[in-house]
Amino acid sequence: MSAPAPETAIRARGLTRRFGSFLAVDAVSFEVERGEIFGYLGANGAGKSTTIRMLCGLLEPSEGEATVAGHDVRSSPDAVKSSIGYMSQKFSLYLDLPVAENLAFFGGAYGLSGRALRGRVDEVLELAGLGALRRAETGSLPGGIRQRVALAGAILHRPRIVFLDEPTAGVDPVSRRDFWALIRRLAAEGTTVFVTTHYLDEAEYCRRIGLMADGRLVALDSPAALKREWVPDRVFLVRGRELPLERLRSTPGVRAAEPFGAALHLRADPAAWDAARLAALLRQAGGVDVAVDAVEPSLEDVFLAAVGSGKGGAP
Amino acid sequence: MSGAPGGLRTALVQLLAVVRKEIRQTVRDRRVMFLLVVAPLLQTVIFGFAIDFQVDRIPVAVADLDRTEASREHARRLLADGTLRRAADATSAEEADGMLDRNRAAAAVIFPPRFGADLDAGRTARVQVLVDGTDPNQATVAASAVSRYFGEVGQALARERAAAAGRPLPGTIRVTPRIAYNPSLRSAPFMVPGVLVMVLLIITTIVTAMGLSREREMGTLEQVMVTPIRPLVLLLGKLLPFAAIGLFDVLLVLSAGGWIFDLPFRGPLAVLGVATLLYLLVTLSLGLLISTVSRTQQQSFLAGFLVLQPALLLSGVATPIRAMPDWLQAVTLLNPVRWFIEVVRANLLRGADFADLWPRLLILLVLGLALLSAATMRFRKRLQ
Repeated sequence: MSAPAPETAIRARGLTRRFGSFLAVDAVSFEVERGEIFGYLGANGAGKSTTIRMLCGLLEPSEGEATVAGHDVRSSPDAVKSSIGYMSQKFSLYLDLPVAENLAFFGGAYGLSGRALRGRVDEVLELAGLGALRRAETGSLPGGIRQRVALAGAILHRPRIVFLDEPTAGVDPVSRRDFWALIRRLAAEGTTVFVTTHYLDEAEYCRRIGLMADGRLVALDSPAALKREWVPDRVFLVRGRELPLERLRSTPGVRAAEPFGAALHLRADPAAWDAARLAALLRQAGGVDVAVDAVEPSLEDVFLAAVGSGKGGAP
Repeated sequence: MSGAPGGLRTALVQLLAVVRKEIRQTVRDRRVMFLLVVAPLLQTVIFGFAIDFQVDRIPVAVADLDRTEASREHARRLLADGTLRRAADATSAEEADGMLDRNRAAAAVIFPPRFGADLDAGRTARVQVLVDGTDPNQATVAASAVSRYFGEVGQALARERAAAAGRPLPGTIRVTPRIAYNPSLRSAPFMVPGVLVMVLLIITTIVTAMGLSREREMGTLEQVMVTPIRPLVLLLGKLLPFAAIGLFDVLLVLSAGGWIFDLPFRGPLAVLGVATLLYLLVTLSLGLLISTVSRTQQQSFLAGFLVLQPALLLSGVATPIRAMPDWLQAVTLLNPVRWFIEVVRANLLRGADFADLWPRLLILLVLGLALLSAATMRFRKRLQ
């Protein structure tokens, strides 16, 4: 454990897991650098949790190999477990115990004791902004707070890597923002963060994203590069009244036009169209109060393009 | 952790963390505390008083069809020692029989006409006894009371006749049973060890099974399994506090038994201590094993009862194993409850020590280790 931290925090090579005849994870390969926030996206059942469980040493891979913090998950799962923190969507805490007791237990499970343990519990409580709640019964706390307690528990032993499996599922937006502030702070201090999420806005915080579909890693890059690669069209937000939707859809160079709230989302060939020309076309076709703005494609566009809309359901 | 310096120290820290957590959780749950501390006491008192195998004052119907001095005198003396009680008088054998049917009496004694005359003439006198066999224990007691009495009467008559004829007394056989270990045949000293066995089995097995299922249900088990804690350390940490509570319950039940029911403590208590530890190894491992085949706390609870009931019935706690069919007797050889109750009763009532009991203790140890390894193996497998 005293070996120098490798620059590659996680390395997976052909990682595969079968449950009977079901192929949950199919030959997944990737590398995660030290200090990186790595997002792992995919529909339910795409193999995200199975991948995490293999990387954490909870589940043995059927084929392939993986090293986490320099330790092989197959041959030395205990060393892997000592180097990582893990937090799952279930906020797996003892709800009948006070916050500080939960942390003391998990600290002990990682081998911390005595003054070192007490000092570290105080530190993580402070870091997670939970100092005032140390004696509160965990079950009485709202979800957003509990999830911060769970994260505090996962970083007690100063792991080099934390695995967060849908850490913000079912949590209100303000708590989600606070939680991500915490995650970015950890990453800034050199902790590698491997996170799965349902919320595509959260994925924008990640330096790189892996997209899972049916057990396979179908895309892997930074959010901006993914957008360039998967959504080559220009995306426009069109506002106004009496917009001629059908006419737009049949216009050459316009690839898609979908209602988006009170407005329209429109994808068009960047060589043929820009905002001014689109606005002119719409006014001529009877649109009133027309305003057209070029917008950045969202990860949702990427996700739908990469996974195939409607097929695996929304992320 | 494998091979890491201070691996043992780390394991100890982890063990203490688990033990501490279990204790906190248990102490905070008032219902569990009630179950663990008050219930054993209540059971000791209730079972001690309620389960009484001692039989006396059996209601008897007397039909004296002879109505002589002799028949009246024998009826009076037969009922004098308190085992039998005159509940009704009948005027005919049929009426006495009907009293048995209507549950007014558990036995009937019928002195036929000419009973006194036959005795006076030196002929064999007959007495008819009807016994209701519904309760075999009571029936046996009633029948033996009657035959004992008339056996003594017969001997007395033989002596009288010998004396009257001027011959020397014929040799008579006197059977004087001396009942060892529990001379007054009280039930409580027999039952209190039974309570001990039952309470330990039910409480430690079910609390353990449900505790682990709860962790699985809540998802905390997975959170614990991503820490470097070893399954064996985790399981030991979960068992130790309940082993301590089990030992405490033993002291509680024995103190109550000694104080309320005069339970004798004849053997070395060290034997009892060792036996209890081995038995706890069995019951706690059984709880673990049950939790590994159950998905929820409810399933654990039900599975627990499904296992515990036959284990108790086939243990000899309440019914003698010797009364079971041969194949069932063979099954009881695998029942740890049987071996523990034998050790406890032998130790407390008979004063048996290690030299007498080591084979049984060894069997308990083997059964306990087998259950623990089965539980640990299934636990590891379930994690995958």
